[in-house]
Amino acid sequence: MSAEMIRKAPLLEVNGLVVTTTGPDGETVRLIDDVSFTVDDGEVVGIVGESGSGKSLTMLAVMGLLPYGLEVAAGSILWRGKDIVGLREQQLREIRGRDIGMIFQDPMTALNPLRRIGSQLAEAIRLHQRVPRRVARARVHDLLDTVGVKDAAKRARAYPHEWSGGMRQRAVIAMAMANDPALLIADEPTTALDVTVQAQVMRTLEKARAELSSALILITHDLGLAAQNASRMLIMYSGRIVESGSTRDIFLSPTHPYTQGLLKSRLAERDERAYAIPGNPPSPRLRPSGCAFAPRCELSRGRSVCVDARPRLELRANGSCSACHFAQELGAPVAPVGSEA
Amino acid sequence: MTDTVAMAQVGTAAPRRRRLSARQGRWLSTCGGLIVVLVILAIIAVHLWPGFDAFTQDLAHARLGPFVDPKHPLGTDVVGRDLLSRVAAGGQTTLLITAAIVLVNFVVGTVLGLLAGFFGGWADNVIALVTDVSLALPAVLLLIALSAIFGPSALLMILVLGFTHWMSFARLARATALSLRSRDFVMAPRMLGASSARIIRTHILPHVLPQMFIVAVTSIGSVILLQAGLDYLGLGIQPPDPTWGGLVLEGQKYMRLSPWQVILPGLAIFLVVGGTTFFSQRFTAESTQPLRKVR
Repeated sequence: MSAEMIRKAPLLEVNGLVVTTTGPDGETVRLIDDVSFTVDDGEVVGIVGESGSGKSLTMLAVMGLLPYGLEVAAGSILWRGKDIVGLREQQLREIRGRDIGMIFQDPMTALNPLRRIGSQLAEAIRLHQRVPRRVARARVHDLLDTVGVKDAAKRARAYPHEWSGGMRQRAVIAMAMANDPALLIADEPTTALDVTVQAQVMRTLEKARAELSSALILITHDLGLAAQNASRMLIMYSGRIVESGSTRDIFLSPTHPYTQGLLKSRLAERDERAYAIPGNPPSPRLRPSGCAFAPRCELSRGRSVCVDARPRLELRANGSCSACHFAQELGAPVAPVGSEA
Repeated sequence: MTDTVAMAQVGTAAPRRRRLSARQGRWLSTCGGLIVVLVILAIIAVHLWPGFDAFTQDLAHARLGPFVDPKHPLGTDVVGRDLLSRVAAGGQTTLLITAAIVLVNFVVGTVLGLLAGFFGGWADNVIALVTDVSLALPAVLLLIALSAIFGPSALLMILVLGFTHWMSFARLARATALSLRSRDFVMAPRMLGASSARIIRTHILPHVLPQMFIVAVTSIGSVILLQAGLDYLGLGIQPPDPTWGGLVLEGQKYMRLSPWQVILPGLAIFLVVGGTTFFSQRFTAESTQPLRKVR
């Protein structure tokens, strides 16, 4: 074992996570199917995928907040090297909010309409820090200042409906940052905002993140947003990771046909009709036994291996990992054995 | 204001039954509330009145009619007890027990409803089962059975009615909690590490309480009626302690000789039940108004 291999445990390490539920006929449905990834301290990771691909569900599993009826059937979730699957609710509560901060998609609904914004932020602080109200209030004003809300002392007394969407999203970011978490999870943080405000809010988020030097998992279906902010990306499809790698590699040389399709679907040039991947993602109940993407994949036409065998997520020569039997045809041969760092 | 009234008439183009306008509804409801307040004030006033005495029998002055003797403004019963005092004392008992029953209903229903709605899953199933059983339980039979064992008492009546009429509270609390549960502002504190108890207390209860108060007000009338009925059956407070239902029962035997013995407590029940019903119309009317105007 070389010295590099005995490095510090990553901040978050998810290994072979499987989340299941029971289908209408009593069968077990794998909603998240064997997902593994790591997040290091201070790193920004984008998780990209369409609706229902399991992005948010993976994060709920990490926080131990799976909805009723869903459970982690296999795999481990290591927080700083310690498995948090199956921890008692009380221990999980310690982690939530203090170690992991969550930023919601829709700032219109993430704040309680009946309570003042300042008091909701103070609640977030006092959940984990035994500080007097006065100190919490001062801290709230600092937080609001950090996320670019001017005249914080006065505005903290407002109710959510008195704030605009962008302002409220700042409040939600402030709330997630209240206890200086080591990891922020932002679930589609700008989807509900006007395009003009999106950039501002992302800048605020990035500034706040840099200040805390915390890691960020950015869940989005917007490749552009992920590309601008994340250094590494995971592409999810039908509850599985189909490709992962540095943002640069994924954009310059995608090694999975689904990623290629996504990249092609962006609006690039004028007068060009956007490309659409034919078909729809499969329901997790009816997921093909082989590659989940096979029915929609041009590369798999007439190839039985795609239908029969599930491709493993393998390291490719360019440094990305891809779960495709024919990644080499996309210019990404399997990395030579032993090259894995 | 005028605008709403006008819209109301436009909105129901060919009314089969004339709907009260919002203003008339509010007026009626205010009157109803006023009647209840006046009855309560009257009960208090009679208790302070120097001639107040609900128990002393005076056969020399039995069966006096109302407005005959200034010492007994509303007359006396067959054994010469002052009727005004008895109706007021009965009112105090009846109203206090009603308040206690509604309070028990309120607490039990709200707590169970919140738990069922917030946690869902097996908690919801268990509470749904308890609700069904409670709905199927005939309160009167239960009270008869328990009275036979423990002897009738105010406490028993409060407990039996308190634990058999909370379902409408629970249903509404459950529905509200259920609709709030998946809202982000309830999920958000959870992601911040708040406990379920804390979330229910600070984020769900404030949304549920106002609705529970409405249910409480609407249920007062029916609880008084039910209670009066049980007193009438002799299952509640025992004589000589007066209650409105008990007074009706006592007076019934002498209906021909001194009808006011029945009429007076009956009138009191009528006033309070009618008053609360009209008062509660404000809430039911406002929550069931057809959508008239898209703003």
